Amino acid sequence: MAEMRASNHVSRRGFLGMGLGAGAAAVLAACSSSGSSGKAASGGSGGTMKFWDMPWAAAAYNTAAKNLVASYKPASGLPSASYQVIQWANFTETFASAVASSTGPAVSTGGGFQAFQYAQQGAIAYADHLIQTLKSNGTYNDFLPGQVEAMKTPAGYVAVPWQLDIRVWWYSKPIFSKLGLTPPTTWNEMMSVGTTLAKNGHYGFGTGAGAGDFLSQHVMVMMMINNGGGLFNADNKLDVVTPRNLEAMEFVHELAKAKIIDPASVSYTTDNENAQWKSGKFAMGINTAGLDVSTGITDGSLAPMPGPLTGPHGDKACLVFQNNIMMYKNTPSQAGSEAFLAWYIKHMSSYWQQNLLTGLPVLKSIVALPQFQAQTPRVEAVRNWLPYAKNYAAVGTVLSPSLAKVDGSQQLTAFAQTMLSGGDPKAALQTLQSSLEPLFT
Amino acid sequence: MTSAVGTTKQPDGVTAPPRPRRPARRLDVNKTTMIALVAPSVLLLLLINAYPLVSAANQSLHNGTLISSGSFVGLDNYKAVLTSPSFWQAAEFTLVFTIVGVFGSWAVGLGLALLLQTNIPGRGVFKVLLLLPWVVPIVVSATSINYLVATPSSPVPSLFHALGLGTPLFLANPTWAKVTVCVYKVWVSFPFMMLMASAALSSVPDTVYEAAQMDGAGAIARFRRITLPMIARPTYISWILMTIFCVNDFPTIYLLTGGGPISATTTLTVLAYRTVFQNFQVGPGVAIAFMMTLVLVVVSVVLYRQIRKAAFQ
Amino acid sequence: MTALHETVAAKPHAAAHARVTRKDPRRWLRFAVAVIITAVALVPVAVVVLLALRPATGSSSHAFITFANLINVFRTTDTPIWLANSLAVTLGTVVVSVAVAAPAGYVLSRGRSKAVSGYSLLLFVIQSLPVITAVIPLFILFAKLHLVDSLVGLGIIYVGISMSVAIWMMAAYMDSIPVSLEQAAWIDGASLFRGFRSIVLRNSLPGVLSTAIFTYLVSWNDYLVAIVFIRTETKFTLPLGVESFFQQNVTDWGDVMAVAIVMMAPPIIIFAFLHRYFSVGGIGGALAGT
Repeated sequence: MAEMRASNHVSRRGFLGMGLGAGAAAVLAACSSSGSSGKAASGGSGGTMKFWDMPWAAAAYNTAAKNLVASYKPASGLPSASYQVIQWANFTETFASAVASSTGPAVSTGGGFQAFQYAQQGAIAYADHLIQTLKSNGTYNDFLPGQVEAMKTPAGYVAVPWQLDIRVWWYSKPIFSKLGLTPPTTWNEMMSVGTTLAKNGHYGFGTGAGAGDFLSQHVMVMMMINNGGGLFNADNKLDVVTPRNLEAMEFVHELAKAKIIDPASVSYTTDNENAQWKSGKFAMGINTAGLDVSTGITDGSLAPMPGPLTGPHGDKACLVFQNNIMMYKNTPSQAGSEAFLAWYIKHMSSYWQQNLLTGLPVLKSIVALPQFQAQTPRVEAVRNWLPYAKNYAAVGTVLSPSLAKVDGSQQLTAFAQTMLSGGDPKAALQTLQSSLEPLFT
Repeated sequence: MTSAVGTTKQPDGVTAPPRPRRPARRLDVNKTTMIALVAPSVLLLLLINAYPLVSAANQSLHNGTLISSGSFVGLDNYKAVLTSPSFWQAAEFTLVFTIVGVFGSWAVGLGLALLLQTNIPGRGVFKVLLLLPWVVPIVVSATSINYLVATPSSPVPSLFHALGLGTPLFLANPTWAKVTVCVYKVWVSFPFMMLMASAALSSVPDTVYEAAQMDGAGAIARFRRITLPMIARPTYISWILMTIFCVNDFPTIYLLTGGGPISATTTLTVLAYRTVFQNFQVGPGVAIAFMMTLVLVVVSVVLYRQIRKAAFQ
Repeated sequence: MTALHETVAAKPHAAAHARVTRKDPRRWLRFAVAVIITAVALVPVAVVVLLALRPATGSSSHAFITFANLINVFRTTDTPIWLANSLAVTLGTVVVSVAVAAPAGYVLSRGRSKAVSGYSLLLFVIQSLPVITAVIPLFILFAKLHLVDSLVGLGIIYVGISMSVAIWMMAAYMDSIPVSLEQAAWIDGASLFRGFRSIVLRNSLPGVLSTAIFTYLVSWNDYLVAIVFIRTETKFTLPLGVESFFQQNVTDWGDVMAVAIVMMAPPIIIFAFLHRYFSVGGIGGALAGT
């Protein structure tokens, strides 16, 4: 056994030596890689631009998008484009790791405020030159009013909008007609309609705040916006505890007390919500412009209300997210990116021609398409709701990187869950303000 | 010559004669061989485990973003995290979740292992079937649980209602959500503990039991005095492993409740993930993860000492 | 030289203590308890199977059970590719894992110095960092090595993640093989490596299988690492494939559950045949110290 001990004695030194050496190497590697600031590596992906897209609808959409991108014929000297779908799950990690290691795309869609975030961190190629091009070839005038300008920051346009994700009030026509109800137009009417629904075993504020379900966050923000409030003030600073917001949340509190809100909706996923709509438990609620498609109730019995509700002070508003396409500095050719994006904007009408998307188009020419005009809920959303839509920056108007920290955050989900379970509005708003504030320092 | 006490019997009577002296060269070869045998694993451990650890430590001392390193801020992130109520709320639930997860799954696993040691028919089939909870992908079993409990008209709430137990909101009520998450974790983990217990139990020699039986010891006394001490070491190991699994477990909670309602089921891992990938506060989020690692290290070392003590019965 | 060829009869332990040899009512009581517990434990799994066999959302079928989803998933989705990728990655991971862990486990088992105990404690400790914070630094490192969006890179990470437990398991099993056999071989002039290979490794099949099974399970179900490292659809493993069915507002549960069944089948089959070998012997031995 002395033999064994002796050899171990020696190997211990060998061990430690190796450990130290490798440890030092690891430290050096760590310091050098975390020192990289995400700026573009020159040369990108050499010859082909990567276009990353998200699953915006059912699989058929991504297949069509892939085919569309494959049909892009670049001008001579400019790179062609390749298509890649990125899953929504953990997408911030996917994009961040790609950009940080310079293996990211040249052009992509993504989160609504992602472009603003990455622009602040120096990874976005501003779209000013592209916007100029669009102005000179007339495409700029095809955009719905204000949409392109929403992408402007002091340093430039961070992206180009392509699809609008709006929130509108829906109602179930058969249930309403059975109970002799008409869609409300004011908050007071909403309360009385909701009370009748509740008496008959239906819920008038259908929503969900469970795992992966961000609808009720948007619903709460929309209620604030509907009353002339919002998460941010006119100076674009976080300011949640305002009289208008308080009033809106007190209204939600009353809805909860009147049992117009399903207490279990605190934990509903999108699937649970759809099930509640299908079974008739939900008769009224805020949702995207594609609720009929999501629930499968496409026979017209589910319809958007004629227009936004009028709040206690006469405000009419709803919420919209401007999904956009951004260009990155890490591209084989900036001119190539711009050429591709300009081409893509011209040709994305094919998605709505094939009814693959329930998001609203951002171009007037697409709105005018007969196939789109046949989609009644979407047309109503554009005609009756979009003019009153405000984005997340309300009451302010400037979108910023900080919105990315707030949208989808657990703080907002916790706030929505508190309100849905009938919590105290003032305390909830104060908690929201104090829990979000550290994110802005 | 000594192997671990309490494991397989060794063939007796085999002792090596005194070894002849060897040339010094032999020593070098041994040392080289030992290092060579261990080198690939050390390299991998450094690459895959140590390097991110160092990187994380570095990130927690800076105020960077996901793609840039930011500037050095010393221990500011740690201070900010330790003074935030959400950290302590998450720490508290992590403790509850881990204790229930570890001991719950161990109790169930050990009980089942004991049951399956007896000669019931179809023993092997049960063993395999009872592994399914561990084998099902989490995203799928989370969906199953949601299907079973999410709405008032789901099977389990309906059953409760039919039995006159009211209609608990298993995922929407903060307290019930905690219970549901803990039960889910025990459900996912008991097969692993069952396997560990099974293996440990089968290493206890029959002779010991027979001797005890002859001395008139009853079943419970046999269990307490013989079984438990003899499986102490594998048990401690399984506790350590399960503690690490519970503390670091992200998908089980995140996919079922997202950490809600109102952050009731948020553990430190979920908090760290949210802080880094939803609030985009990389420094503080990684600081949370780092502190978790520290606590796990301390717990591991403490239990490690326990195991060594158990070796010298 | 005969020492080298000695084998230790390492049968898996007979599990039954067979406290009673005659059939007695308590046996059937225990059986009933087992049935009830198993049935309750498998309710969520039954839900998976049920949902897989129900017609998909949006389909026109009104049947109660249909195998259309299972067939559909193999014919129209990329499930066969994902299955092949998963099998390839896990097979590679298992082989490399065992190849790396066996020698390391040997050192842990035979070495009794402080450094070796320190190494074993380090193994414990080093796997404590949550995977989610390790993913991005690893991604950046692997990107430099051109190992991202590559199944090989993914496999390397899986090996690294399962390394600690794999080494322990090998060490624990090797503890049950008496050193005296190698000592006899050394006296006969065999090298340390030869002793390791011909005596210890040859008799460690159950330990190798345990390690293989464990590593297999770690990599088969992983999703958090794969989703960041793999992007191209043709390189997806099964967990990523399942995830791809979760669209923006609607999920096709029939397909998801069908793929889930495909994911569950191989581990079940492997366990059905090999569960006797999932033995960790005196796993405490690795930590017993000097």
